[in-house]
Amino acid sequence: MGILLFITVLLIAACGLIYELIAGTLASYLLGDSVLQFSTIIGCYLFAMGIGSALSRYIDRGLAYRFVWIELLLGVVGGFSSALLFLAFAYTQGFQLLMYALVIVIGVLVGLEIPLLMRIIRDRYHFRDVVAHVLTFDYLGALGASLLFPILLVPYLGLVRSAMLFGIINVGVALWSTFLFAKQLASARALRIICVVVMCGLGIGLAQAKRITIAAEDNIYADEIIFARDTRYQHIVLTRFKDDIRLFLSSHLQFSSRDEYRYHEALVHPGLSAIPAPRHVLVLGGGDGLAVREILKYPQIDSITLVDLDPEMTRLFSTHPMLTALNKKSFLSPKVHIINADAFPWVDSNTDSFDFIVIDFPDPTNYSLGKLYTTAFYKAAARHLSAQGLMVVQSTSPMFARDSYWCIAQTLKQAGLRTYPYHVYVPSFGEWGFVIAAFRDYELPTSLPDGLRFVSVDGLPGLFKFPPDMSPLPMPPNRLNDQVLVRAYDQDWKDVSH
Amino acid sequence: MSTTRREFLQSASAALIGLSIKGDRVIAGSFVNDSFQLGHQLRDRANFPQPTQIVKRAVVIVGGGIAGLSAAWRLHKKDFTDFVLLEMNDQAGGNSRWGENEVTAYPWAAHYVPVPGPKAIYVRELFEELGVLKNGQWEERYLCFTPQERLFLYGRWQDGIEPAIGLTAADRDQFRRLEDQIQKFRATGKFTVPMELGLSDSTADLDRISFADWLRAQGMTSSLLNWYMNYCCRDDYGATTGDTSAWAGIQYFASREPEEKGPLTWPEGNGWIVRRLLERLGSYVHTDRMVHRILKRGKGFSVLAGDTEYQAEFIVFAAPTFMAPYLLEGMAPLHDFEYSPWLTANLTLEHLPDSYGTDPTWDNVFMDSPTLGYVDATHQSLRSHVDRTVWTFYWALSEGISSANRQLLLNRDWSYWKDAILHDLERVHPDIRSCVSRIDIMRMGHAMARPKVGAIFSAERRTLAQPRGRILFANSDLSGFSIFEEAQYRGVTAADSLMREVAG
Repeated sequence: MGILLFITVLLIAACGLIYELIAGTLASYLLGDSVLQFSTIIGCYLFAMGIGSALSRYIDRGLAYRFVWIELLLGVVGGFSSALLFLAFAYTQGFQLLMYALVIVIGVLVGLEIPLLMRIIRDRYHFRDVVAHVLTFDYLGALGASLLFPILLVPYLGLVRSAMLFGIINVGVALWSTFLFAKQLASARALRIICVVVMCGLGIGLAQAKRITIAAEDNIYADEIIFARDTRYQHIVLTRFKDDIRLFLSSHLQFSSRDEYRYHEALVHPGLSAIPAPRHVLVLGGGDGLAVREILKYPQIDSITLVDLDPEMTRLFSTHPMLTALNKKSFLSPKVHIINADAFPWVDSNTDSFDFIVIDFPDPTNYSLGKLYTTAFYKAAARHLSAQGLMVVQSTSPMFARDSYWCIAQTLKQAGLRTYPYHVYVPSFGEWGFVIAAFRDYELPTSLPDGLRFVSVDGLPGLFKFPPDMSPLPMPPNRLNDQVLVRAYDQDWKDVSH
Repeated sequence: MSTTRREFLQSASAALIGLSIKGDRVIAGSFVNDSFQLGHQLRDRANFPQPTQIVKRAVVIVGGGIAGLSAAWRLHKKDFTDFVLLEMNDQAGGNSRWGENEVTAYPWAAHYVPVPGPKAIYVRELFEELGVLKNGQWEERYLCFTPQERLFLYGRWQDGIEPAIGLTAADRDQFRRLEDQIQKFRATGKFTVPMELGLSDSTADLDRISFADWLRAQGMTSSLLNWYMNYCCRDDYGATTGDTSAWAGIQYFASREPEEKGPLTWPEGNGWIVRRLLERLGSYVHTDRMVHRILKRGKGFSVLAGDTEYQAEFIVFAAPTFMAPYLLEGMAPLHDFEYSPWLTANLTLEHLPDSYGTDPTWDNVFMDSPTLGYVDATHQSLRSHVDRTVWTFYWALSEGISSANRQLLLNRDWSYWKDAILHDLERVHPDIRSCVSRIDIMRMGHAMARPKVGAIFSAERRTLAQPRGRILFANSDLSGFSIFEEAQYRGVTAADSLMREVAG
């Protein structure tokens, strides 16, 4: 009996400290300035414990019953604290208010625990033993928690699940106490049922913790989310604000419907209009159908082959009314052949020849995507060019990722191609860059399809001029065995954001 | 009863935290490619059947690893076609054997070749023929993709295997001093690949002490440096620095100065090279043909394998040299050849663990583990999205006495080794059991030659390594250590030497 009691002390001490550490860590992650966050949180927490201890003198009767309830409350508040804080940060302005409120509530409850417990058991032991044992196990629990937290909990469980786990332990203590103090409890059975229900609630929370973090992360999107889906390959999110629809793939903005015409006209027309009689076009990436919409403005084109990894993406842009309105139902054209495949192996094994190749992949944010920006990839892609063929490559921003942009241009050169770099201004992206590459010389087109809103014959020469702050930089090529581009891209964006 | 209780607790806790939590998978698998039964038949001089047919060939190549296949490649290339290659296993390739499942091809042992230097002319010639080297350029898709290597230490991953974080000033100083020393050894031109071309008596002193003793004598006491040196020796020689000649330890570093960021690697490791060689040479190669006796017959030989007697004028003995005294009539026992026992495993993963940590990396090493970590077979895939994969797990049983380790390999069952492997991986990937669906394990009692103290300048080794006479030894162990380039060099020079003899 004795040791069980003191293990209870150890567990509740550990739980209390874990909630405090979680609040401190979360605040440091989300707000920065860890010294300020930890200092104020520890201060508030200790102060609130003092309040709790002071309040304990007003509890006269039903000590065990109230102790069980305090443990239950702590389990619920502490267990969900981390998830609540994440969501509050994502969806509300009141993160700090909620955080300090939670810290104070938890502190008050923790402050109540030990005095109540000591009073419950004071008749069983000498007073000096009670004090000595309770405080010893209290401090041992704190040590255990403070070691567990950085070594096991944060790395393997994360903050949301750690809080849930300790919430479960707290409720476990409540359940356990109904047995320990059964004699002092009038309605132990009712309490036990409540404990089991709360525990299940926390258990579900533990299992669903990933969803909660994803939901919180989703709210980095400023606007209303009209569609969100986790596919096998990526996280697709569509947002809408008034008439502006935005597509995010794995949190990276792909287009805004207000200005995507600038991007897609610039991607397609400078190259395609310069080809005398284009008949077959290949689009790699571009699962939104917007590049295909531009390509369909050339009636002489017989076939458009689109290779995109994600069938969910091409299905979405073939069926969703808001999106087919945007791409003018381009995927429903009989000229369009959609192939859902990984681009590099497809390009490597297919033998068809194309007059125009559009390469429109997500930015090289990791080494897997970086493979699609290597000399090996461009060599494989260029083998598909017909004699008059040109290809155009989405090449990141020559302004914000100047090293990356010129690295891509250099990589194309190293693959044996002549390169013609150009850039446009897309308000939602900023300055954006493309490179036309071919085995032949490229000359500016003298006519363009009707109805373009941005690209014009007069405006074309300007796109190929780079002001000094975007002018070429000497960069090594990006190769499969030495992916300098991914490192450069990472560094470029770090430089912009700091 | 304890399992029942455990099961009860497991199912109770599963019910508690919701059914969507994934449990451990059932892991299938077995030992594969076991060949020690065959080896023990030879050792114990079991009764073999009398031959029922006679086949005459000018040359019999014994052993279908890289050395034997390279001898065959050379003969074939010089239009010498009167030969046959006999391999005891059901698959040629030796240490470069490979496997394949529905996910990918994967290696069983050797999984890469460092970008060869200018002295490795036969390796370069082969790679030109295979399209790996074109107009002086190494084919990009055969070079190991970024990111190449990572090391798990202090609870996190770092780039590269040489420890780079948590070094004290003294550690850094010792790494720098060692690099300077290596640079000097490299400049002497006496440490080359192949080793025979640079080998000089002036470096014989280094073969008289262990690499560990040499490092100590240099005042290199840093535990990080010693861990790294030990890792390198275990990786290339299957031996600790204490069991490796200082000459071999230095050779590892001083013999290479790559002209390109490598190494060269393929999903099935060096099995890719074997496949290409077999496309050219398959008709000469007979697998499941264990040679059990080689007898002298006049000037030539009678090679007994299964029901066939091969009558040959020349033998290229490309099997591990320690087997020769058991096969060759009248050959004295050998003393200077030692081998390291190894275990490799191929793990099929249904998905990467959540604890993966970085972008998918080729070679993954854990600090202070007795194992060598794992290599990802799908790393060389051109795909941008890979979910299922195969990891090849490497474990040189280098601590302690080799014979005891061989017993351990033989005596413990599959499930013991499966758990040992998973325990090691769990230190780095706690959730690994929820990802792995299959573990196949290959045990090799004599996996690679061990360059122990004295092995390099051993008179026995140097005599057998001379390519002359009618029986030509060609295994890589004649170089003192087992690497692709040495095996290929020995095979090619044995072939050249016998063609000279034939030409008279």
